[in-house]
Amino acid sequence: MNVKIYGVLLVLVLAFAVCFTGCTGNQTPAGPGSEDSGANETPLYVVGVDGAYPPYASILKDGTITGLDVESIQWIAEKKGFRVKIQPMDWDGIIPALNAHKIDMVYSGMTITPERLEAVNFSIPYLTINQSFAIHNDSTITMADIEAGTAVIGAQSGTTGAYWVEKNLIETGKMPKENLKLYGNFPLAITDLVNKRIDATVYDRPPHLSAIEGKPAHIIGEIYTGESYGVAIRKDDTELLNTINDGITELMASPKWQELLEKYEMN
Amino acid sequence: MTDAAFFTEVLIPALLKGGVVSLQLIALAAPFGLLAGIAIAIGRTYGGRVVSGLCHGYIIFFKGCPLLLLLFILYFGLPSLGITLPAFVAAVIGFILCNGAYNSEYIRGALLSVKEGQMIAAQALGMSRWQAIRHIILPQALRRAIPGVSNEFIYLIKYSSLAYLITVTELTGAAKIVAAKYFAYFEAFALVGIFYLILVSIATVAVGVLEKRLAIPGFSGK
Repeated sequence: MNVKIYGVLLVLVLAFAVCFTGCTGNQTPAGPGSEDSGANETPLYVVGVDGAYPPYASILKDGTITGLDVESIQWIAEKKGFRVKIQPMDWDGIIPALNAHKIDMVYSGMTITPERLEAVNFSIPYLTINQSFAIHNDSTITMADIEAGTAVIGAQSGTTGAYWVEKNLIETGKMPKENLKLYGNFPLAITDLVNKRIDATVYDRPPHLSAIEGKPAHIIGEIYTGESYGVAIRKDDTELLNTINDGITELMASPKWQELLEKYEMN
Repeated sequence: MTDAAFFTEVLIPALLKGGVVSLQLIALAAPFGLLAGIAIAIGRTYGGRVVSGLCHGYIIFFKGCPLLLLLFILYFGLPSLGITLPAFVAAVIGFILCNGAYNSEYIRGALLSVKEGQMIAAQALGMSRWQAIRHIILPQALRRAIPGVSNEFIYLIKYSSLAYLITVTELTGAAKIVAAKYFAYFEAFALVGIFYLILVSIATVAVGVLEKRLAIPGFSGK
């Protein structure tokens, strides 16, 4: 009996050892601007995006990632002579990931805020947008209800929409803290809106429109925050900042920009 | 904001609030998880074909279903069937279902460790099967299950953090929100780590005391 148990243990340990050696062999270091094997190759920059953030970045059914921001950086990369790897990741931790050199820039509809400027540099602004609120089609909630703090609002954690609610409704005492529900990604907030668990959602207007497409919900109003999007880049990486600023200037001067804005219905 | 003010005015109050929610989740889930575990273990070991099969099916399903997925089904999936649970309730139910499945295996092991002769002897003395389980087998088995079940309790303390993903702002969630807003990841999660360490240490010591208190003289094996 004992011999049998020890036999099983031995097999498990061996199986583990085999798996482990198998894994380590496959890992390739995907560092920032990693030069791969060839020294003369064009630099590779890892671009962090929120993978569930249409129209800026979203993962298609076949696994490829596209969107306004993704196509923009691909265009800039081609003009400026570097390669990019688009890396979808958790929005909450995207700035720490940038500063930890896991990625080289965040090009994903990121609003330039004073708090974020303390941690990273931003490129020149490339879009200006407002925050918007959406409700279920069956609901009669109005913007006045939202501004009075009587609605339960869902937002994605770490977004400017969530911060707007905190600052203007919770900190002013109009709305109890429990009435702001925070989600790891925005589609989950929309799921809860459709489930009628929350009264309204708040998000940047263009991605908000994409998120409620085909869902029984509609936008009821905007808050004129006039926020600007920029590309976040590490503070010490001024060379890349200059390259991206040049690239954005060139892109916005080219017909490609209008084409992209039209394609993603941003006008 | 100075560093000290950040800790005393922002981080610590947020974590304390979250910590209270974590404790509520654990305090509600643990006793029911234990009861579910006992019931399923008895059903699987002593139940008839149908009961035993059902209990086995329960264990296979809930041990095989990742807890995060289970919480997503309970919170985001059930509304399509017309059942809309509040986030806190969905989290507690998920924890009980999962905790019960794991506990039941520890308890089943302990039930099986009680020699079959005791059941036969109890029935020879005129006890019914159920009486024998309740008065003879279970008291011994539960004592033997304490180390295993305490392990599962400690897991529960730690996996309570998954509740954040269905919008319950418990300890880890509170830390994540503050960390994302102030970019203070290290400070926030270091404190969270200390908090969990304290909770788990208290639980470990308490289980040790419980084990000693419940030990039967002459049977402790020491």
